[in-house]
Amino acid sequence: MLGSYTVESDSLTFRPRFPAMPGVATRAVFHVPGGADVKAVFEPARKQPAASTRVEHVYPSGGVLPANQLKFYVHFSAPMARGDAWKHIHLVNEGGAPVDLPFLEIDQELWDRQNRRLTILFDPGRIKRGVLPREQAGAAIEAGKQYALAIDRDWLDASGSPLREPFRKTFRVVPEYRAALDPKAWRIATPAAGTAGPLALDFPKPMDHALLARVIQVIGARGPVPGKIAIDREETQWRFVPDEPWKAGEYRLQVDRSLEDLAGNHIGRAFDVDTFDTVSKHLERTTVSLPFRIGQQ
Amino acid sequence: MRALKFFIVMSAVAISFGAGAVNLKSGKADLKSAGPLAFGPEGILFAGDSAGASLIALDTGDRTPAKSTGSFEIKGINRKIAALLGTAPDQILIQDVAVNPISKNVYLSVSRGRGPDAIPVILRADASGKISELALDDIKHSSVSLPDAPGAETKDARGQSHRMETITHMAFVNGNVIVAGLSNEEFSSSLRSIPYPFQQAGKGTSVEIYHGSHGRFETNAPVRTFVPFTVDNEPQILAAYTCTPLVKIPVSELKPGNKVKGTTIAELGNHNRPLDMIVYRKNGRDYILMANSSRGVMKLPLDGIGKFEPITSQTEIKGVPYETIAGLKGVQHLDRFNEANALMLTDNAGSLDLQTVPLP
Repeated sequence: MLGSYTVESDSLTFRPRFPAMPGVATRAVFHVPGGADVKAVFEPARKQPAASTRVEHVYPSGGVLPANQLKFYVHFSAPMARGDAWKHIHLVNEGGAPVDLPFLEIDQELWDRQNRRLTILFDPGRIKRGVLPREQAGAAIEAGKQYALAIDRDWLDASGSPLREPFRKTFRVVPEYRAALDPKAWRIATPAAGTAGPLALDFPKPMDHALLARVIQVIGARGPVPGKIAIDREETQWRFVPDEPWKAGEYRLQVDRSLEDLAGNHIGRAFDVDTFDTVSKHLERTTVSLPFRIGQQ
Repeated sequence: MRALKFFIVMSAVAISFGAGAVNLKSGKADLKSAGPLAFGPEGILFAGDSAGASLIALDTGDRTPAKSTGSFEIKGINRKIAALLGTAPDQILIQDVAVNPISKNVYLSVSRGRGPDAIPVILRADASGKISELALDDIKHSSVSLPDAPGAETKDARGQSHRMETITHMAFVNGNVIVAGLSNEEFSSSLRSIPYPFQQAGKGTSVEIYHGSHGRFETNAPVRTFVPFTVDNEPQILAAYTCTPLVKIPVSELKPGNKVKGTTIAELGNHNRPLDMIVYRKNGRDYILMANSSRGVMKLPLDGIGKFEPITSQTEIKGVPYETIAGLKGVQHLDRFNEANALMLTDNAGSLDLQTVPLP
């Protein structure tokens, strides 16, 4: 065990570098010169908390996904333990059989800082056109079929307890979305000046939940407008409620080009771009502005 | 005469410090997490801190050349590390393994605990089997924020900071630390080239990596792992994309704001899950040795790599002929040890064994 030894008023004291974990037995042996060893065993009692952590939500919320769905976000009610994710996550087909390696099994696991949200990526090698895994094994999910994302109960949380119950999300699959996002197809519903009513932005298809929460800002005459965002209707609506009542005037929605739909398509650029069409040689401007006006009632 | 002698002594001292450690300050190195490791010059160890969104250079002070050329073996290193850290073997995660090219001591980045409060620890193992801690509370070090990576303070409009970039691999090439990362939100593919000694990083120094399949479909291509390699005197990196092609990218193209497409040298195909790669030379030919969590350890020839042309027409996609090395299963980490051996961390039914293996 790492630690330091000191002699303090007739005692030999060992301070471990890290406090011993509950349930881990520690043995101390003192070799008496010319005599028998003195031994002691310490085992701090381990209190195993009852299983209470559960999967709170999986995004996308909807039950219909494209065949080139790119990711799931799994939200847990409490922090989880890292390192075993791939043993406990399964994609099963209509017959209940597991799909072989549908996901990108990254060793490090794509958690957030609190270990409460896990990002699961579908294997891009089976989504992208023209790469070998897709040629060999085909796509992981096929249009017209139904699947379930299943999460085992025996996945341990950060306190060492399993989940309270297993989780299952069934969904059916429709053909791939391979078109770039077009802001002209989005609808903005504006509230009246003098109210603090919500501004609603509606999309024809669901968007990536995490990016929706982050990449859209309302900009007014004096800069970004402070307020609260809500995401609704299975990620097809972004809603904004200002902290202060709206003033009449010109505004714009500033949308970062990193916004993705469920298949990773961006504004003006599909997930996989057919280069027989023109492709830009340089990275483009990073945001798109959608102007709107707040008028008097 | 005396003045001259003094001058000579001072020069000798300056030379022995070298360029590696001069700019580093002593103090507590504040690591929030310790992920990928890479050695720089003169015993400088770089550690990638995904939680802290930063890169840190640590002076290990470990500059004495190895005496024996021999082998290295520590069986059950996971149990030994757990005991050192006062915890159970299933409560530690070995994040990466790197060999100090000078001393041949082996460094490991370890997570003590598996929850969000896991403590990062860097350990050093030597050929005698002794494992000690590289203490971080008073060490010469320097750190830099990863450009464009979201820090803990980055909150979305609902006040939450879920976004994080996970560093998947790093290497020191020609005075720069090249860092590959994967976001937990946008499907991004950035590679950052950070000069060392660190300057205060400017914004937007990351490079977007794309894959062009058969010159037709162009997509963002996150990099899982890569290895530096020189082709015709030009520094390159050989990178394994998550969608499985193995590509070469000239280091000179890794400039801020560039949009870079690697040249495909091999299509590794389904079930390819590369963890680590090294390049080596045997009997006058170059090879890649790749630890793959699906397929064991693979050896691929790099014949004619200097002559690879980008694939521009719709040709039939073929897999690359690779050789699976028999008897090497469960390899989790791989690094070069010396001219004749690699160092591997292997899972043998729960016992993680660290040992040198002759290059096949």
